[in-house]
Amino acid sequence: MAGPTGVRRLLWLYRRSLGANLRAVLEYETDFWIMVAAALAAQLVGLVFIGALFSQVPELHGWRFAEVVLIYALANLAAGIGALLFDGVWRLPWMVNQGELDYLLVRPYPVVLQVTGTAVGMQSLGEIVGAGAMLGWALWRVDLDWSPITVAVGVVLVASAVAIRVAVTVVSNAAVFWLTAPSSMLAVSVNQLGDLARYPLTVYGVVLRVLLAGVLPFAFTSFFPAAWLVGRDGYAWVGLLTPVVALYCVGVAALVFRRGLRRYESAGH
Amino acid sequence: MRAYAGLARAAARSVLTYRLNFLFGTGALVVHLVAMLALWSALLDAGRSVAGFTLPEMKAYLLIAFGTGFLVSIFGDFRMASRIHSGMVALDLVKPVDYQAARLAESTGGVVAEVGAVAVVWVGVVTFAGPVAAPGWPQGLLFAVSVAAVVPLKFLVVYLSTLLCFWTQNYLGVFWARDVVVSLFSGALVPLALLPGWFQATAAVLPFAGITSVPALIYLGHVRGAAALGLVGLQLAWAVVLWYAARLAWRGAVRKLTVHGG
Repeated sequence: MAGPTGVRRLLWLYRRSLGANLRAVLEYETDFWIMVAAALAAQLVGLVFIGALFSQVPELHGWRFAEVVLIYALANLAAGIGALLFDGVWRLPWMVNQGELDYLLVRPYPVVLQVTGTAVGMQSLGEIVGAGAMLGWALWRVDLDWSPITVAVGVVLVASAVAIRVAVTVVSNAAVFWLTAPSSMLAVSVNQLGDLARYPLTVYGVVLRVLLAGVLPFAFTSFFPAAWLVGRDGYAWVGLLTPVVALYCVGVAALVFRRGLRRYESAGH
Repeated sequence: MRAYAGLARAAARSVLTYRLNFLFGTGALVVHLVAMLALWSALLDAGRSVAGFTLPEMKAYLLIAFGTGFLVSIFGDFRMASRIHSGMVALDLVKPVDYQAARLAESTGGVVAEVGAVAVVWVGVVTFAGPVAAPGWPQGLLFAVSVAAVVPLKFLVVYLSTLLCFWTQNYLGVFWARDVVVSLFSGALVPLALLPGWFQATAAVLPFAGITSVPALIYLGHVRGAAALGLVGLQLAWAVVLWYAARLAWRGAVRKLTVHGG
């Protein structure tokens, strides 16, 4: 077969897989635009909420309006990019329960990438556009020492945030290998906790802080990167740990998925 | 009438049978409630107040917003949407019950389970998150009437938007769009008093404020006496108007139904 080899082959095939699914999604054009518009509106509502809060107070635990918007935008951008590129992971529980994973196992391509590439999140474009616009505005308004290093680190932080978000989603969906129920309810609940990371971590009590910074490190998708960008004392250096946390999460996800795959016993149970 | 009572009972039983799904279904709203409680507690520390809301009042407001957001949310819309998309709705059409009234009966059955879950969360929050404002008895009574009016009002908003499934295949998008409109205009997102004047004026004449803002403000005593009675009257008036609007919409919608297969 012609085509690239090695890692380039993986990327090339993944792009082809997503492309095929994107074309399928665009067949239902009205539905696609409804989802994009609804997702965009949902982003704006979040902004209205933060705006209403800050019309009453100048700052929240030392965080000003633009800085809170920055945190909010980073959290949603990570979720949006994750949904654009890896939304197929939500189909894993159904595939395992129905024995559909059989087909994937015989193809010469990593199973986890085959699963994550089976869908494109229709809402993701609305999320990315909305969150991207908020991020742009917030970056323009906060005090930031612009330099090539800021930009480079910023890109690495966003990429790491996406990796963390996706890794947690993979692990929580891979729980199906042990639970065998065809429902992604557990994953949905875990993902909803990610919404807590849209606001400054300092507003939460100690239990939630430990949860969001350690157990399910959603704070590394938004709060800590934002703290580094605006140079917040006491938290900025934690932001630089984001890529390390991302590597750890991806490693755990790969391990859990591999262990789970070994338990897979096809349909008929 | 017996048929409708039967539908309501079946709906309540169905929610309790799939109780794990039901519990996880509360997840999103509980997470949101936790975030809001944390944010407002940080904002209103040291006895500060915002737009006339002290912290205990704000906590009560958030609990009511959680409760009214949860009512009429777990049984009905997704089921109705999938029956429309699959064509199963054709079977509902031949049953000797009124379609709209039957769906209201089912939603009311779901409310029984929802009220139980809301009560558990309320007790939890009051136990762990400290004092919450409480009303006197005349306000409390009016609050109960107002909350009861939320059930038909919210059902009709949900029902009318679900009818859009006769035109589009994508209920999730419709669901999100409705969520945006309702949370913004009902005061569930943030008390309407915190939003600009022109927005408050618009929200006051729309039906959505009756879903969260009206019962919450009555509970807190921010509106009293004749004004409160007037708002409850408006809730009921909107319920009647929407009931007949839904009948009209149904007539157009059912003509769009296409059922494949043989």
